[in-house]
Amino acid sequence: MTIPLLLPAVALIATPAQEQTAPPPASPVVAPAPVAGSAPVIDLTPPVADSRAASTSAPIPEFADPLSDPETAAPAAVGETPFRATAVDPNRADPLEGFNRAMFGLHQALDKSIYRPLAMGYQHVVPKPVRSGLRNFFGNLTEPVVFLNYLLQFKFGKAAETLARFTINSTLGVGGLFDIAKTKDFNLPHRNNSFGDTLAYYGVGPGPYLFLPLMGPTTLRDVLGGPLDGAVLPLAVGKPFSDWRYQLSSGAISGLDLRAESDPELRALFGGAVDPYATLRSVWLQNRAAEVAGLRHRRADVQSPSELDDPLRDPGGPTVAAPESDARELQDPMADPAAPAPAEMPH
Amino acid sequence: MRITVSSAVLLALAIPVPAFAQTDPARTTVQALDDGLIAIMKAKGTVKSRSAAIGPVIDRAFDLPLMTRLAVGSGWTTTAPADQQALVAAFRRMTIAQYANNFDSWSGERFAIAPQIEARGGDKLVRTTLTTSGKADIPISYRLRASGGTWKIIDVFYRNSISQIATRRSDFATVLAKGGGKALIAHLDALAAKGDF
Repeated sequence: MTIPLLLPAVALIATPAQEQTAPPPASPVVAPAPVAGSAPVIDLTPPVADSRAASTSAPIPEFADPLSDPETAAPAAVGETPFRATAVDPNRADPLEGFNRAMFGLHQALDKSIYRPLAMGYQHVVPKPVRSGLRNFFGNLTEPVVFLNYLLQFKFGKAAETLARFTINSTLGVGGLFDIAKTKDFNLPHRNNSFGDTLAYYGVGPGPYLFLPLMGPTTLRDVLGGPLDGAVLPLAVGKPFSDWRYQLSSGAISGLDLRAESDPELRALFGGAVDPYATLRSVWLQNRAAEVAGLRHRRADVQSPSELDDPLRDPGGPTVAAPESDARELQDPMADPAAPAPAEMPH
Repeated sequence: MRITVSSAVLLALAIPVPAFAQTDPARTTVQALDDGLIAIMKAKGTVKSRSAAIGPVIDRAFDLPLMTRLAVGSGWTTTAPADQQALVAAFRRMTIAQYANNFDSWSGERFAIAPQIEARGGDKLVRTTLTTSGKADIPISYRLRASGGTWKIIDVFYRNSISQIATRRSDFATVLAKGGGKALIAHLDALAAKGDF
């Protein structure tokens, strides 16, 4: 049933990562914006344009969207034409939306009737020190996978830190029950890394967004990486990790614990959402794209802010040069971080 | 004699420089919001009382009409004026209620505003950090745009990566595509009636 759905998805995953904000996908399909803007533009800074475009190699997520006020869109469109779609575009990122929404509905029903009551019961019955001990214990057992993936990414410093963390917690932390490595003495907090990350690091695109019951939000790339992550300990160590009873109980405990711990955030997220499915998808994809960007760009925190990449054009403008909604999710490669310009044209 | 005069001049010249750097108007806006949030956290009270307290602060700090237009997107131009007003009102109510719901108690939380303010294309970015003892710091950044002589927040980024405008666009898109502005107003009113905001 799902196999025919996934086959085209496999083709998609081979395309370059949309998450890589640096070289924009450059798809003429996406943006009517260039057409609209490029015609009557009075470009005040023609020679600068190239260097600005070149500066895209240092993306700042907060500037990714130009955030053009729809009411005053036309002037903003001038000279800012080449916006390109990012992975955040909800329409482009979810080709399997019908299937995903069905799975989301199923998951929510299961969650309400079984999963959440079990998780809250676990939280209620099991004392907090035991829960955090188990969380640390199973978390510690993921560190070899983190270590291996840092090696695969040739990030030897991070790999060494992960190895040190694993060693400290496995010994001083009594087999991983206590997370001593994250304390100030060692300052070695847990970092996420997986085969999905390694694939992303080497340019494999996320593929279509997927929502799977019990697993929650993911992408095809990450879901394909998952079994590899799970196979590391069973293959390297064997028993007890290869025993299905261990795998089932560790999965159940970790899953219930995670569900219980994230309950307040999920309630807040869904409680204020018109469309909980789309809200979760957007939040998850934005967060994942940031994780991958952080992995791919070493100097992530040195770069200028991509929070301003989206021009955020006001759709209510009288002279809507670029009325297409695509512009909203487009990345601005022409950003000039040096411009101190006050109100550019406050309507 | 001469030395004292010149040092006095130097002093007079030097002092205003750091003082001026401290008062970036974009920073002032974010500072006012953070102060307001700390105030309602400390006051505790009910959702209603916190909403009443934070409402005027949010009106001053955020460009709520622009944020509504951005979240609705290109469909805004084809929305009837009365519906546009209703959407702005619903977006405002939703924003206030979310802050009133989420910032409900104070246990030593602090906001720190980064000294460096980035700018691009007329917009500014103010980075802050929410610090809670015993928990990991949460970076929150604010994108501001000049409006009517003041700098107002037009987007908020949780952990420097999750854009509120991008999330709301996704949240609104399907309802808008199926039923337009009227359907979105109905959905927002239903959420409000449910008591979540």
